[in-house]
Amino acid sequence: MLLGPTQNSTFPMPPPSPERLVITGWGCVSALGEDAASTWPRLIRGEHVREPITCFPVEGCRVTEGAEAPIPPINWLTPKQKRRLGRASRLALPAAREALEHAGLLNADGRCTLSELEMSLSTTACSMERIEAFVRQIWLPPATHGNKTQSLRVATYQSQQQIKDLQTHLHFSGSATILSNACAGGANAIGHASDLIRSGMADIVLTGGYDPLCELVFCGFDSLQSLAPDLCRPFDLHRNGLMLGEGAGFLVLESESHAARRDAPIRGILAGYGHSTDTFHLTQPAADGAPLERAMRAALARAGLTPRDVGYINAHGTGTPFNDRAEASAFSRVFGEDLSGLKLSSTKAAIGHTLGAAGSLEAIFCLQSLQTGQIPPQLHTSEPEPLVASILAKPGDTLAQKATLSVNLGFGGSNAALLFTNP
Amino acid sequence: MSDDLSILSWGVVSPGGTGVDSLSNPTDWPKTLVPENAHPDRAHPVAYVAPETLPDRWRLRPRFRRGSPISHFMVEAASQALEAQPGIDRSRLGMIYATSVGCSLYSVRFYRQFQKEGRRFASPLLFPETVTNSPLSHLASELNTGGPVYSQIGDKSCWSNALRTASCWLKNGDADSVLVIGAEEFEPHELDAFRAMRWLDRPYTRPFAEGAGALLLARGAHPNTPKLTQIADGFCFHSLSAGVETAQRCLGKFPPEIPVCDSATGWIETVAQKTRVPDSAFGPLPNLAHEAYCASCSWDTIRAAAYLSTHPSEALVVPYWGLSLQVGAALLSGAAF
Repeated sequence: MLLGPTQNSTFPMPPPSPERLVITGWGCVSALGEDAASTWPRLIRGEHVREPITCFPVEGCRVTEGAEAPIPPINWLTPKQKRRLGRASRLALPAAREALEHAGLLNADGRCTLSELEMSLSTTACSMERIEAFVRQIWLPPATHGNKTQSLRVATYQSQQQIKDLQTHLHFSGSATILSNACAGGANAIGHASDLIRSGMADIVLTGGYDPLCELVFCGFDSLQSLAPDLCRPFDLHRNGLMLGEGAGFLVLESESHAARRDAPIRGILAGYGHSTDTFHLTQPAADGAPLERAMRAALARAGLTPRDVGYINAHGTGTPFNDRAEASAFSRVFGEDLSGLKLSSTKAAIGHTLGAAGSLEAIFCLQSLQTGQIPPQLHTSEPEPLVASILAKPGDTLAQKATLSVNLGFGGSNAALLFTNP
Repeated sequence: MSDDLSILSWGVVSPGGTGVDSLSNPTDWPKTLVPENAHPDRAHPVAYVAPETLPDRWRLRPRFRRGSPISHFMVEAASQALEAQPGIDRSRLGMIYATSVGCSLYSVRFYRQFQKEGRRFASPLLFPETVTNSPLSHLASELNTGGPVYSQIGDKSCWSNALRTASCWLKNGDADSVLVIGAEEFEPHELDAFRAMRWLDRPYTRPFAEGAGALLLARGAHPNTPKLTQIADGFCFHSLSAGVETAQRCLGKFPPEIPVCDSATGWIETVAQKTRVPDSAFGPLPNLAHEAYCASCSWDTIRAAAYLSTHPSEALVVPYWGLSLQVGAALLSGAAF
C-alpha cells in the first residue's frame, strides 16, 4: 500500500517545490452525464439540458427550470448506505471514485490504494436539502424533532459530511479543506491543492467541487431575478440570466515525481493558478473586469506562458448582463487584438451553473479539450458581445494552441484562473 | 529564515465584550434563556454578544448596514488585530475565515420568510447575506486588503485547517501576513439540532456562545512575539473509540513535556478525558466551557498566544476537538522558548 508521506504533521515544512503539478485522473457528474466519459461527447455535440425542476417544489418562483443531473445509482453501496447519503454526496462520491479510478488509485475492491489522501474541496450548499427538511419538520406541529429521521438529518446535514462520506466509502483518511468561495470555489479548491503541493505540505491531493440543487439557493437566485426565463445565452447581447445546475467534478493532482514513483499516467499539467478579490460589490463584478484580469495575468505569469499560448478559454459566462460584460472586458485587455487561434465558450449554457462545482467541472473540460483537441461550442448565442464575437467557439472548432484557461468569478468577489497544458 | 510563524497580534469579540480580556471570566458572561423552536417550554442558556458592547464604527458603513451579526463580529475582531500592527501592508495581507455554522441567522430567516409568504416573495436583500463568503467579502472591501481570501467551512477543527492554509500562503510567498478569523453567530435552531441528537440533556453540553477571534500571522521570527511552531491536522475519526486513538496520534506529534490546553467541549470531552492528557499536564488556562465552534477554537489560540507573550520561555499545545470529524492541534511557543 502506498502512503502519502506528508499528511498529518504539516509544519515545519520543506522549501516550496519547483516541480510540475500533474493531473493524473478526473471524474464528474453533470446534467449531461453520470461520468466524464459520457458528458464530454454530448458537450461537444452541442447538447444541453433545461427541464422543469423536480427535486424540490418551485411553485411561485418566476423561473421553474434548471439543469438537474442524473443521480448515479452507486450500486457499490448497500441500500442502507445509500439512504444515508444526501444529494451532495450522491453527486460527489461517483465523481471522486471515477477520478481515483482514472488515476489508477482504486483497487479491485473499490478501495483507494492510498491510506492517506489529502482533499481540497469546494461547495456552497453542502447538504442543504437535509437542513431544509430538518427546519421544515421543526416548524410543523406537533414536532417530531427527536425521531430517527430528524437525528439522521442533523447528523448528515453538516458541511463536513461529504468529507466523511468520501473517506468512508472510498476507504482513505487524511486532512481535508472545504472552501466556500461561492462560484469560484471549485477553481480555488484546485488552486489550493496546487499550493499545498508547492509548499511541500502534500504530494498528492484529491480535489474537486460538488453542489446539488436546493430550494434555498434556487429561490435566492430567483429573488434576485438572476435566472434566465428561457435559454441561458452567455455573451449574447440579449442575455437575461443564468440557469442553475448541479454536479460534481474531481481531479487527482500530484507532483510530477510522485506520479513518476507510482508510474501514473500524466494526463495534463496545471501550469498556473491566479486568484484575486473584487471588492466592488457583493453581487456584481467591477465592470472593467480588472480583478479577473489580475487573476489571469497571475496564472500566466506563474505558468511562464503568454496570452498567445492560450487556445481555449472556458469562461465563467453565467449569462447575466454584469458578469459577461466584465469578463469580456477582462479578456479583451489580457488577450489584446490578436485573437487568432483563441476560442472561448461558456459551458454553463449546456449544464447550468453548478456554483461550487463549476470551477472543477470546467477545469475538467479544459483538460479534455487538451486531450482531444476538441472545443465545446458556445450555445444559444446569436448576437454576441462585440468584444468577444470573433472568438466564440463554433461546432467543430479545434484547439490551435498549447494551453487552455478556465476562469471563474464568484459572489462576494472571488476570482480564479487556472491554466492547463498537455504533458 | 525561520520556519516559525509569528503571531503579531489578535482581536476578540465575545459575549464578555471585546479584546482578549473579555475571555478572562467566561462564567460571568451574561446568559439569555433561549427556547427550542419545537418545544418552547424547554429553554437553554446562550451567551450572546450584546450589541452595545460592539463599537459603533461599523453599523453605518455601506457593506455592514445589512450585514449579519457574524460580519460585525469579524470586522471588529479583524480591526483590533490590524490596529495593533499599523505597519502591515494590506495589499499583501491574506484573509481566511473559518466557520462551522456561518451565516445561519439570515439563512433561516430567508428560508422561513419565503416558506411563509411564498417563493415569489423571497427577499433579494436577505439572500446575498446568506452566502458563506459574504462576511469575508465585506471585510476585504472595508479593510481594503489585496491578498488571497478564502472562506473555509467544516467541523470546528477546520480552524486548524485554516491555520495550515495560512502557513501555506506564507511559505509560498502568496502573502506577507495573514489574518485567520474564526467566527460564529448563534441561531436558535441549533438547540433543536442538539435536541435531535439527544445531546442537550447530557452533562457535557456547554452553554452556546457566539463571537469571533482574529489572529494576525507573519513569516519568520519577530521580536517579543509568540510563535506558531507546529500544526497537526487531518486526524479523522468516525466513532468514539476511533476518536480516542485518533486524538492520541494527533497529540503524540508534539513533545510530551509541553502542557496541553483544556479545550474540549461537548461529547468529545469524554474522548479528551480518555486521551493521554493527564490532569497534571493541562496548561494554565481553564476551559472556556462554552460552545462557539470555530470561534471557540480561535479564542483558545488567542488566549494561549496572550499567555505566552507574558511567559516567553513557555510553550503550549492547543487541541481543536471537532465534534464529528477530526482532531487538530497547534503548538504555540513564547519568544524565548
